[in-house]
Amino acid sequence: MILEPQKRISAKALTVWKISGVIQIVISWIVTGVAIFLLHTFNGPFWISVLLIVIELISTYLFIFLLPTIKWRRWRYDVRDEEIELQEGIFIVKRTLIPMVRVQHVDTVQGPILRNYQLASVIINTAATSHEIPALEESEAEELRHFISTLARVADEDV
Amino acid sequence: MFEPKRLHPIVIVLTIGKRLKDFIFSFIALFFIWKNGGKLLLFGAIGIAMVAIVLTSILSWLRYTYRLEQNELRIEYGVFVRKKRYIPLERIQSLDISEGILQRLCGMVKVKVETAGGSGTDEAEAVLAAISKEEARYIQEYVAAAKNPAVQEVESNPAISSHTVYRMAPSQLILLSLTSGGVGVVISAVLAFFSQLDDFIPFERVFRGVEQWAVSNLIIIVLFVFGGLVVAWVIALVGTMLKYANFNVTKTEHDLVISQGLLEKRQITIPLTRIQAIRINENIVRQWLGYASVIVESAGGSVSNQEGSKVLLLPLVKIDSIEDILGPYLTDYRLSSSFHPVPKRAMLRYIFRSWIIIVPIVAAAIFFLKAWGLLSLIVLAWFTFWGILKYKDAGWKLENQQLNLRYRKMVRSTVFIKKNKIQSLEVKESYFQKRKDLGSLEAFVKVGFGGGGSTVMDMDQNDLKKVYSWFSREAKKRD
Repeated sequence: MILEPQKRISAKALTVWKISGVIQIVISWIVTGVAIFLLHTFNGPFWISVLLIVIELISTYLFIFLLPTIKWRRWRYDVRDEEIELQEGIFIVKRTLIPMVRVQHVDTVQGPILRNYQLASVIINTAATSHEIPALEESEAEELRHFISTLARVADEDV
Repeated sequence: MFEPKRLHPIVIVLTIGKRLKDFIFSFIALFFIWKNGGKLLLFGAIGIAMVAIVLTSILSWLRYTYRLEQNELRIEYGVFVRKKRYIPLERIQSLDISEGILQRLCGMVKVKVETAGGSGTDEAEAVLAAISKEEARYIQEYVAAAKNPAVQEVESNPAISSHTVYRMAPSQLILLSLTSGGVGVVISAVLAFFSQLDDFIPFERVFRGVEQWAVSNLIIIVLFVFGGLVVAWVIALVGTMLKYANFNVTKTEHDLVISQGLLEKRQITIPLTRIQAIRINENIVRQWLGYASVIVESAGGSVSNQEGSKVLLLPLVKIDSIEDILGPYLTDYRLSSSFHPVPKRAMLRYIFRSWIIIVPIVAAAIFFLKAWGLLSLIVLAWFTFWGILKYKDAGWKLENQQLNLRYRKMVRSTVFIKKNKIQSLEVKESYFQKRKDLGSLEAFVKVGFGGGGSTVMDMDQNDLKKVYSWFSREAKKRD
């Protein structure tokens, strides 16, 4: 009786998340490099450097390969006539139900990486919360925003 | 009423007071920093600043005018930058009337104009700092008439349509003050005050001399500290009493009106349609005595004025009399107190959750302090007890169009939310919860400008599905 959201977000999202993972990891490698250099010059204990490198290696794998894949596989959404349903989360799976009558406004946003891949995120705002559907195809995001804002307007109730 | 009007001149005094308060610390700072150069120069500077404050206060009073015109409340103000603020009367949610000490001396009242929060700035509201009572009543009636012309007759004679919902008895006021957490606030305020002075008073130099004296007079110091705490507690007690004296709730046709306060009278108006949720809070002492407080979460207020959104409706009542008091007036709500508990297998998770922070601390204490560290086991026991308490208090219930949730953070909260006031509903399940067939539920409502969530952790998955499909509009269609 409980409905599962069906739609997946764009497959290109995976690439985008991997890229932003790479950017994060590069920055953290630089920080680690500086830290190890400082440890070396001030004769800090050697095992800390080893530990740092091990942590970096693990998080490289996590942030570039494992986590984006799980995140993408988990992300589902559904926009029906009367409600929006989202499913997301890596370790904790979160399902959100937003009645259409509660939607106040819808935005689409596009960062530089997303724009490069013709993707956009849709942000749905209620009076109390805001929810993001990340990385949809540009045209789909546009359509969705239009669809939601039309429905939300029809079903306008007082808060 | 179409001609521009000024506020009562007492506003000048109020403004001067407010500005002095803002400047006082810079004055004190200046006083200590100013070492070289004559004191005369310093007093000269302060004198000029004073004169400037007085002059600008008078000017800003002169410039501040308000009038009702073309169904708008039009306020014009500003000394250097002229500002005009026109508020359409139908946008006004409520007019809150309060009386400070100064206002009462002149028989004036302060009127706060509340509009629907949402623009995100404090620009949306206005304050008429001192106008006469007749004037305030006139504005109230005018606004009410503009909002719904049909009920003009009834509104103009509110005495007929208003019912007293609740009036607090003196004995309850005393109990309220005794069990309120205000003491902590006062103590931290005193501490904050001293930390402010830290830079100006050479504590270190003072203390070095004191140190030797202190060792020999330990008892006096202990008594002194203890006395300080007692004084703080009494201040908090009196503060709560003054704030909630003459507490009185009435219901007019569309609003709940709360009036309270002895020295400073306040009146808060909550339109019934703006109520988002009813919350019953019980701190541990009050729960033990069988008392609770009832809070109304409403969509009013704005960023700068959060107090408009969470209003104490009943500061302290017997928990089992809440339904009798509010039932006849909040007819939409069923304030029942029976709940479905969370399943037994969730108890361990509740205990572990409260252990997460404390166990490493306890372990460290035992490791470093050896025998004395064992004392921290008492803390561990307390946290375990607290975890079990949280487990026992967690519960939920569906009642037709209403969701009831109960959970404990520090105090036990029971929340009653109508289905059409829930902004969004979340169901969460972590890997470990999934293994035990559990999940957490969070319901969001609009509170004031932002949102507020109520969470029940570790509910049974089947129960979660029940609530989820109760809230889903499509699920019903397909059944």
